[in-house]
Amino acid sequence: MKLKTKYIHTTFVRSIFVALMLILINQQANSQNFTVKGVVIDNKNETIIGVNVKVSGSKLGTITDMNGAFSLSCEKGSTLEISYIGYESQKVKAQPTLQIKMLENAIALQETVVVGIGYGSMRKSDLTGAITSVNQKDMKKGVVTSAEQLLQGKVAGLSVVQGSGDPAAGSSMKLRGGTSLSAGNSPLVVVDGIPGVDFNSVQPSEIISVDVLKDASSSAIYGSRGANGVIIVTTNRGASNTEVKSVSYNGYVGVGNVAKHIDLLSANQWRGYVRDNNILTAIDFGANTDWQKELEQTAISQSHNIYFNRANTNGGYRASITYSDNQGVMKKSAMNRLAGSLSAYQYALNKKLKIEAGVNSSVDNWTPIDLRVIERAANLNPTVPVYDANGKYTSIGGTNTENPVELMNNRNDDESRHRLLGYGKIELDIAKGLKAVTNASYEYNSYLRRYYIPSYAVMEGMSLKGHGERSLADNSTKQLEAYLTKDIEFAKMNKLSLMAGYSYMETVYEGFGAIRSGFDTDAFLYNNLAAGSDYTTGDVYSYKGQSNLISFFGRANYNYLGKYMFTASIRQDGSSRFGLNNKWGLFPSASAAWRISDEPFMKSTANWLNNLKLRFGYGVTGNQDGIGDYKSLAILGANGASYYDAATDMWKKSYAPVQNVNPDLKWESTSQYNIGIDFSLINKITGTIELYSKKTSDLLWTYPVPQPPYIVGTMLANVGDLSNKGVELTLNVNIIKSKDFNCDANLTFAYNDQKIDKLSNEVFQESGLKSGSLHGLRGMSGMYSQVIKEGYPAGAFWGPICNGIDPDGKYILNSDTLGNPINEYLGSAQPKYNVGFGMNFSYKAFDLGFSTYGMFGQKVLNASSMSMYDPTRLPSQNVPDGFLSSGIKTDPTFSSYWVENGSFFRLQSVTLGYTVPKKYNFGLEKVRVYITGENLFVLTKYSGTDPEVNNNGLDAPGIDRFNYYPRPRTISFGLNISL
Amino acid sequence: MKTKHITFVLLLSMSLAACTNLDEVLYDKVSMDEYGKTTTEVQTIVGGAYATLRGFSDADKGGTNCYPTCEFVFFLSECASDEACIPTRGTDWYDGGRYQQIQYHTWDANNILILSSWKYCFQGIANINSIIYQVGKSGLKANEKEIVNAELRGLRAYYYYQLLDMFGSVPIVTDFESTGLPEKSTRTQVFEFIESELNDIMTKLPATISYGRFTQNVANTLLARLYLNAEVYTGTVRWKDCIDVCAKITGYTLEPNYFESFKTANEKSSEIIFAIPYDHKENTVGNYLASMTFHYNQKYAFSATAAYPWCGNGICGKPGLYTSFDANDIRRQSLLIGDQLNIVTGAVIMMDNGNPLTYTEDIVDFTKALQNEGARLFKYEVQGDDKWERDNDWVLMRYSEVLMMVAEANFRLGFVGNSLPYINKIRKRAGLADVAVVTETVLDDEWKHEFVFEGLRRTTNIRFGTFFKPWWNKTATPLFRGVYPIPQTVIDLNPKIKQNPDYQ
Repeated sequence: MKLKTKYIHTTFVRSIFVALMLILINQQANSQNFTVKGVVIDNKNETIIGVNVKVSGSKLGTITDMNGAFSLSCEKGSTLEISYIGYESQKVKAQPTLQIKMLENAIALQETVVVGIGYGSMRKSDLTGAITSVNQKDMKKGVVTSAEQLLQGKVAGLSVVQGSGDPAAGSSMKLRGGTSLSAGNSPLVVVDGIPGVDFNSVQPSEIISVDVLKDASSSAIYGSRGANGVIIVTTNRGASNTEVKSVSYNGYVGVGNVAKHIDLLSANQWRGYVRDNNILTAIDFGANTDWQKELEQTAISQSHNIYFNRANTNGGYRASITYSDNQGVMKKSAMNRLAGSLSAYQYALNKKLKIEAGVNSSVDNWTPIDLRVIERAANLNPTVPVYDANGKYTSIGGTNTENPVELMNNRNDDESRHRLLGYGKIELDIAKGLKAVTNASYEYNSYLRRYYIPSYAVMEGMSLKGHGERSLADNSTKQLEAYLTKDIEFAKMNKLSLMAGYSYMETVYEGFGAIRSGFDTDAFLYNNLAAGSDYTTGDVYSYKGQSNLISFFGRANYNYLGKYMFTASIRQDGSSRFGLNNKWGLFPSASAAWRISDEPFMKSTANWLNNLKLRFGYGVTGNQDGIGDYKSLAILGANGASYYDAATDMWKKSYAPVQNVNPDLKWESTSQYNIGIDFSLINKITGTIELYSKKTSDLLWTYPVPQPPYIVGTMLANVGDLSNKGVELTLNVNIIKSKDFNCDANLTFAYNDQKIDKLSNEVFQESGLKSGSLHGLRGMSGMYSQVIKEGYPAGAFWGPICNGIDPDGKYILNSDTLGNPINEYLGSAQPKYNVGFGMNFSYKAFDLGFSTYGMFGQKVLNASSMSMYDPTRLPSQNVPDGFLSSGIKTDPTFSSYWVENGSFFRLQSVTLGYTVPKKYNFGLEKVRVYITGENLFVLTKYSGTDPEVNNNGLDAPGIDRFNYYPRPRTISFGLNISL
Repeated sequence: MKTKHITFVLLLSMSLAACTNLDEVLYDKVSMDEYGKTTTEVQTIVGGAYATLRGFSDADKGGTNCYPTCEFVFFLSECASDEACIPTRGTDWYDGGRYQQIQYHTWDANNILILSSWKYCFQGIANINSIIYQVGKSGLKANEKEIVNAELRGLRAYYYYQLLDMFGSVPIVTDFESTGLPEKSTRTQVFEFIESELNDIMTKLPATISYGRFTQNVANTLLARLYLNAEVYTGTVRWKDCIDVCAKITGYTLEPNYFESFKTANEKSSEIIFAIPYDHKENTVGNYLASMTFHYNQKYAFSATAAYPWCGNGICGKPGLYTSFDANDIRRQSLLIGDQLNIVTGAVIMMDNGNPLTYTEDIVDFTKALQNEGARLFKYEVQGDDKWERDNDWVLMRYSEVLMMVAEANFRLGFVGNSLPYINKIRKRAGLADVAVVTETVLDDEWKHEFVFEGLRRTTNIRFGTFFKPWWNKTATPLFRGVYPIPQTVIDLNPKIKQNPDYQ
């Protein structure tokens, strides 16, 4: 028994109306009639309440009851019309008993979906802003190591990049090109009404839907945190209006292997090279070692979730526990999580009061690896054995050629995070249409790091004679949000919704740590730091900081007949981080929508153009991420600067100014226009087109300032402008909809064009800042590959154009008359186009789905290859196969030669599922098994291992430089059971 | 229902009343204006001026390392002189040609080594100006403030001396609160500023020996340097003044062992007038010159477990430096050449290209140097258990420099006989026979050998004029390169600062 909660309000009104009608009509029924008894079910064999059942050509009709059943008397030979919002209407011949199966009409359903808009919700059909909703069924399948992955390729304009195959590493999200050069570009995540919650604290299996507020008219309600968009996550803690008793199990086991390696010379290829070139000085260490393989493993991942749900119309509770264990494809790398959540709600005062409370808690444990091993594996000569004759790790000396297996094995790095979120929520219907909501929450995060490098370990270990660290970092956020909503309806045609509220947030972070070196035994690892005899002044430390955010906000929606809709919102944010002269910021927005298809003049097209809606919005939002706490003040910090005091023959601490004072410091401000068109065609296709133009001003950047007179040579200031313009298209197509076979497809497409308009003003000058550091690559210390420059997008590669390799093996660079290379723009690391495409098929008990995504038009600097295509590496080190045929005989040089086309198209996942028919499933509610393959192929011209590299932040994206944790190719087997 | 109403409104209003404060609460930092109430608090601020002598790094913010001990302040002064160089070794140490520019004396205003040196000095100056401002606002009495400020002004003069020497004409900024863009003063004005500051504070400085502090002896040594080079800085000789201030420097003797001042625990040396104290346990940073000079595999020579910190095979002596020493000259051991032996096996260490690690004095091709070419800087003591941050204090002024200054000033004044005992005193300690007569060459060689790799050589080269003549792998240098260009980024940020002549 399941209720379609989404439609309850309409159904309720409608059912009363219909019931009244029936009372009137039934009195006229004549004796020729017989009684039809029927039940209406959906395609999952669940009964549906409130379905309209009408006798064709008459006024007779009824609706289904709580059990989906109806009874209706009608004339013999009558035809019944069955209709229900969100389902295909159908006609059936009247018979004494009937079971009617209704098929969902995905098109109509979409318009009725309730969308979270922040401090309230709204039907999709009534929206005035650009909001994309993704429901659970469309999210990523298979092994999910970070919640962001769920949305990859699903939301036009939301770019999700997973720059690493590390199960402990998250993914980065960026909406509509991002708005900041130095601050975070991640959208604000709001989980069940609580803003700022870590997306990864939500268990993927508990997410019901995600609504992405893309334009400023929607996200301005979150003010100084809304500039990068808002992601509203709804978990399954919502109320039920019917009796529910369910227990379900969801689990999978996955097997992953490294999808692609760097193609390096094998030991025999190396020997061949040495022989052919008659290199007498080469030392053959006699082994055949594939250093990359030595570091890898087959990764086993598993996840198990048990979920209880008990509810009736007065209240209920939910409990869920999830255990997941994800191994990485690099040895030692792993992450496991135990997460539990408990929530309960109760109605009181005749359903006028709802009280809700819950806790979510999780414990994560993971082991990061030292990414330097990846570079070492590429550097080391393949004839070097992993272990020498005595069974010890082979060490050949040299720079950056430590034995990577030794490096990996000698590192003990065990980290864990504990999260706790507790919340209470009260909703009170004060009077008709007037409702008060108070939401209080406390989120606590505790991060513990344990680290030990044994005394025999190469790199830091030996010189430090054993080195142990332990640190604890806590942060907590208290939030109280309260708001009133008032719904007013007059003349049946005008609906006005008002909302006003207040929000208080206090974030405190604090922590401490201890470090010691000089251990006589490695027996204790990091567990007995007192065993280390050597410590330095910074080896014990603690810190604490705090920030407050206070807000007032309000919104008004006006809706005339569902045809003309207007929304206006305003928020005032005050933040302790802002400078004294800019403590409060104001963030207004306005938007309007017009459902053209409802106009009388559109009647002629109504048969194929089911819906056409035009939207327009404008808003101002902010981003306060880039400021950090205490950045505007004149403060003294320790900075670890000790001084020797001759009088006492002791070292003492000194305190010095840490920054230049900037009382003008404030949020980055983004104003955005958005035009949107929603349409649905021929009852099969729905789509949205969005056009936006946004301009971010007061960009934060750390500017060099003249010293003298400034006390510190750099200063954080609001100066620059950045603009993004783009187009987004979302299409959903119901290709085939029938009883046994269904097929649908979805497509997202986004184009974004970014430009830095301004970086300087009268006070702060920046003609073109170097970024994309190449520091750390041999011969490139202090060198850069990108500029941040007016007139160019962020992540602009900047260097000489290379016209190939000359016969002497030198790069042919565009040069001036003096022979100096001419540096110019070589393309941006930011993709121009983001595409996502997926299809779902179902045939009887089988279901099949795949999803793909791609990014196009971006450049990736293959710094790994640039550095490995180096003739001085042979014979002592290793090179990629391609080097020998490349003809390069010169030192690594940065040029367009290594700035490659980074476009790619990835088959993210394919899932084949089978739902066991009722008669074989031991009386269980539902049993489904599935198999998912992930990352099965990538189409790309990129010559490195994978073009999807980190483009976190806008200041140095798109550089592939040995720090790439290989991405796995995974096959997983899953099971869903409902009792 | 009514009560619920009230509860809700109460809840809302309570939260509103309690939560409209947006002040930032400081926990682990202190507000600049509320600090310095007690003498001990003032000391913690003043101590910062000494801590800043170690330099800083803003490389993580796109800047650069500004350490007086190696990257890049020391690298610049050494490699521009005739005693050291950083050859390009394959792809290592090319770094956009920055070191080649210094070797060839073709540096431009964008060279990061020059920027590093500028920032080192002006960071120190800005810091001191803010400390003087804070001392002014502190609870100290007026006479106490004067005494505290004397040391601070002395340190500021020390930075200005370096700017005078490297850049010539620079802006003089002494007021923390002035925020206008300053203009340059002439080289003579900078000279006069330093002179008057030092004379003004002299009596308020500690008269006793106080290790690591700016004392009267330090001020006089700095004055002596100023006068010794006065002709270069202002065109007017001050030899007599140099001799006079040197006479005021008291309390020091030459250590019998030349290397006593360069041991890890060199703070005991009776010869050091001014030094920057280092102790890795106090998190002092920047003191890793040893790791910049030795070969990657040198660790096998120093440590039985090869635990010696990573070494980068960079800076080394210029060819000809090693052989310029007399074979008996104990100071020649400041350079390391020859076979490097594994401390455990005694065998010659092999490089990863299969060749033995044998340092040679010669460097055949500066732009394609072999890994083992070039004599290494071996003046400060090396210990097998050294950390990346070394513990030896960095010597800035030694008593033998005072002796050499007296010797040279006398020689310049024509009192050649007066200079002879000073020279021979220094030679004797080095294990050398006396010289019978002092010549300019004798003086120059003695400066070179006594202070090899101590950062004084460029100034000496300029004073003796050899700087402008061809030397190994360098043609003649035009006179305008006797000062460095003002870093381009400085001019970009402050258009009032004009580039030094002939660099435009």
